Amino acid sequence: MAGYALRRLAVALLLVWLVTSLVFLVIHLIPGDPAELLLAQGGVSADPAMVAALHAKLGLDQPLWVQYRDYLAGLAHGDFGSSMVDDHPVSEEIALRLPRTLELVGVAGFIAVLLGLPSGAMAALTAGRWPDQALSTAAGLALSVPVFVVGTLVVLVLAQELHLVPAGGYVPLARDPGRHLLLLLMPAGTIAVGLTATLFRVSRSAVLEILPREHVRAAQARGLAPRTIIFRHVLRNALMPVITVLALHLGGLLGGTVLVEYVFNYPGLSGTLVDAVSARDYPEVMAIVLVISVLVVLLNLVIDLCYGLIDPRLRYG
Amino acid sequence: MRRFLTPAILLGLIVLLALATPFLPLANPLHQSIAHRLAAPSWAHWAGQDEYGRDVFSRLIWGARTSLGVAFTASCVAGVLGICLGVLGGFFRGAVELVTLRLAELVLCFPPMLLALLVVTLLGPGAATMILCLSILFAPGFARVAYAETLTLRGLDFVTAQVSLGAPSLRILTRTVLPNIAPPLIVQFSLTVAAALLLESGLSFLGLGVVPPSPSWGLMIRGARATMTQAPLLLLWPCLALSGTVLVLNLFCDRLRVLLDPRSSTARPGFLRTALGLPPVATTVQAGLLAMRGLTLEVQRGASWVPVVRDVDLDVGPGETVALVGESGSGKTLTGLAIMGLLPAPIRVAAGEIRLVGTELLRLPENAMRRLRGSDIAMVFQDPSSALNPLHRIGTQVAESLRDAPDEQARVVALLGTVGLPEPGRVAQAYPHQLSGGQRQRVMIAAAIANHPRLLVADEPTTALDVTVQAQILDLLAQLRSRERGMGMLFISHNLAVVADIADRVVVMYAGQVVEQGPVAEVFAHPRHPYTQALLASAPEGDAVRLATIQGAVPQPWALPQGCAFAPRCDSAFAACTLDRPALEACGDGRSARCLRWREFA
Repeated sequence: MAGYALRRLAVALLLVWLVTSLVFLVIHLIPGDPAELLLAQGGVSADPAMVAALHAKLGLDQPLWVQYRDYLAGLAHGDFGSSMVDDHPVSEEIALRLPRTLELVGVAGFIAVLLGLPSGAMAALTAGRWPDQALSTAAGLALSVPVFVVGTLVVLVLAQELHLVPAGGYVPLARDPGRHLLLLLMPAGTIAVGLTATLFRVSRSAVLEILPREHVRAAQARGLAPRTIIFRHVLRNALMPVITVLALHLGGLLGGTVLVEYVFNYPGLSGTLVDAVSARDYPEVMAIVLVISVLVVLLNLVIDLCYGLIDPRLRYG
Repeated sequence: MRRFLTPAILLGLIVLLALATPFLPLANPLHQSIAHRLAAPSWAHWAGQDEYGRDVFSRLIWGARTSLGVAFTASCVAGVLGICLGVLGGFFRGAVELVTLRLAELVLCFPPMLLALLVVTLLGPGAATMILCLSILFAPGFARVAYAETLTLRGLDFVTAQVSLGAPSLRILTRTVLPNIAPPLIVQFSLTVAAALLLESGLSFLGLGVVPPSPSWGLMIRGARATMTQAPLLLLWPCLALSGTVLVLNLFCDRLRVLLDPRSSTARPGFLRTALGLPPVATTVQAGLLAMRGLTLEVQRGASWVPVVRDVDLDVGPGETVALVGESGSGKTLTGLAIMGLLPAPIRVAAGEIRLVGTELLRLPENAMRRLRGSDIAMVFQDPSSALNPLHRIGTQVAESLRDAPDEQARVVALLGTVGLPEPGRVAQAYPHQLSGGQRQRVMIAAAIANHPRLLVADEPTTALDVTVQAQILDLLAQLRSRERGMGMLFISHNLAVVADIADRVVVMYAGQVVEQGPVAEVFAHPRHPYTQALLASAPEGDAVRLATIQGAVPQPWALPQGCAFAPRCDSAFAACTLDRPALEACGDGRSARCLRWREFA
């Protein structure tokens, strides 16, 4: 068991290292010099002497492998470096924005599980009849509307036309909990539309897969109540693929909420990443990619633990 | 097929529109007219004019061309690239597999948006960049599907045969592999087009995709967002066009998948038994324990219903063990499930009655039927490894059978001891996968007898077990007969040797009908139906030098011969056998047989 966990951890760390190193390589190799971008003003290219001075200050005059070594050395001391744009420590920026993104993704995932799982199970239990057809049609529609279209329409209808909600933005929880929740629920709900439909589909097909199993019929033959059979002998067994897909999508969302953040003007991690890439703010990009990939790897480890909790056969694997 | 046509035609129309755009009499999508900015729909401009006074309708159509063009081209490139990687990796394995598949998996590790961003920043925005970027993103998906399919195919005999015959690899790949793995790849392609369309419009919406003057739906939404307070309709049109197209694509995928993989469309078994709607019968049978009369079951085949079990009569007295014997396909298992009220969905009861101590089971509402299951009638299934839920402890599952028992845990352990499990306390804490097949079957039997049922239906309880374990389980079932006083047992089996030891009476079924029944010893000593004779001859018993086999197979329910169902396989058949269906005739001393010549065998 311990050996297995260690092996998993080693593979996970290797993956994080590969992804961050690749990003390091790519971001340094793509054209565009952060110093020039920073110093250029109004289309006038910067003074070469100033660019050279900034290069020396930021360490960009070093060979790439030296920069990479310094980057790793910094990491080893828990130092993410400072932004090339405003010289703030990158860790501060992340500490500020990561919780917002986690909150956004977490709430969206929560809504999606709350709605998608029961409706998927219900559709499977009524397969081919009207509740299934209605729910499946709704899910098909929800999957067809791109997330930024949902967001834009939410803003158009709720904010611009009906004036029910503000058009977007962010308020810290401590300042105004009600408004914080409202401003959080709009982007989270928008993300949840597609995620719910996805979970609905997975749950439906997972339950349909379990229903004809012999142990369900055996449970029926023991005279168990339908509720017991559904919860204990069908849903529990159908959870695995649902969790897998949920984890996959949550992991993708960690770095992929940029569209929703843009629509609702929500200051999360994703938007920062986009800005950092276009400014070639190397330390900022590296730190965000590192944090996201560590989180994705952690998420996968947690999922593996969940598998063990659900299925005793996997516990001693 | 008809359900597939609607989205297919719609998709065809959209693609046609995108292809024919330059030849349509549309306004110039780039022609600006600032004086008419945000103008409402008019005759000249059906969908109004945008923030630069450009014709929105024309831009929508041209946008379809741009967006679909990028999505289709990218999907094609990704498809060719991914299929090559996947097929090569799956076919050659080894180092090729390592390089191609790991390469694909590395791409999948990246958040797609980040990858897109990096590519866009690297090459600058524009349609060509978009196509490259989407191709890289979606190729791994193709590679994975192609790899998995090729791997499966590679293991099949006809491919192995070609490889060992030395056919050139390229020829095998193009002639054999590709055509066979095409269906899932076609589905993957249409899925990819939809996903590419979504990502393209998303990136264009952010200003990172298609470059501004050219019309694209994502760009149009981006533009209209700025003026949404003045002209909300401008926002609606591209949203509708984009969502509608994705919807058509998704529908197309779903229906295509059903069309290419017919298994997914077949009706799944319904979970709850539905009301049967049988006409009521007058109580005519007075019987000991179980009395089945005229049971007829039908299976759905296309639009019609075909009988699979025909007019079966069956009696089990208190304390009696009756064996129901026949080859697979004879309808014996369905007969057992009909007693439990657990028939799978495509099977329905067409006629008959089943009385358990006077209660008619077929017409009983599901709720009442459920209360009988596990208490008055219990069932042991064929395969104990699939009949137990792998996720719950043995004790929990056995305890489920107990109704309102105060000291549940103790009773579970006692029950497990009763069925001869060593260390019953430990077994109760174990999970199914920690037990052997024989132990699992003992658990199933413990759960079945928990409430001292009047009738135990045992459906091939030893078939899935090792020969040595079979004997132990049979011993256990035989012990139960003496311990559980008055419990009747219906023992379903295809194994005559097993039946001889355990049963009092035997009922032989063939092609959904009872062909012979009577006391075990007499039926075995002097079978009066050629089918019983043949079954006995093919059972491995005594010092038979050579096992006889029965020629042919049980006929399908929808292809029954005109006369006796067994006639085509029968050595004793004569002309009359192929004309009329023989009736089940009583032949004295509690025996009956369905054969025109039974007297000759007596």
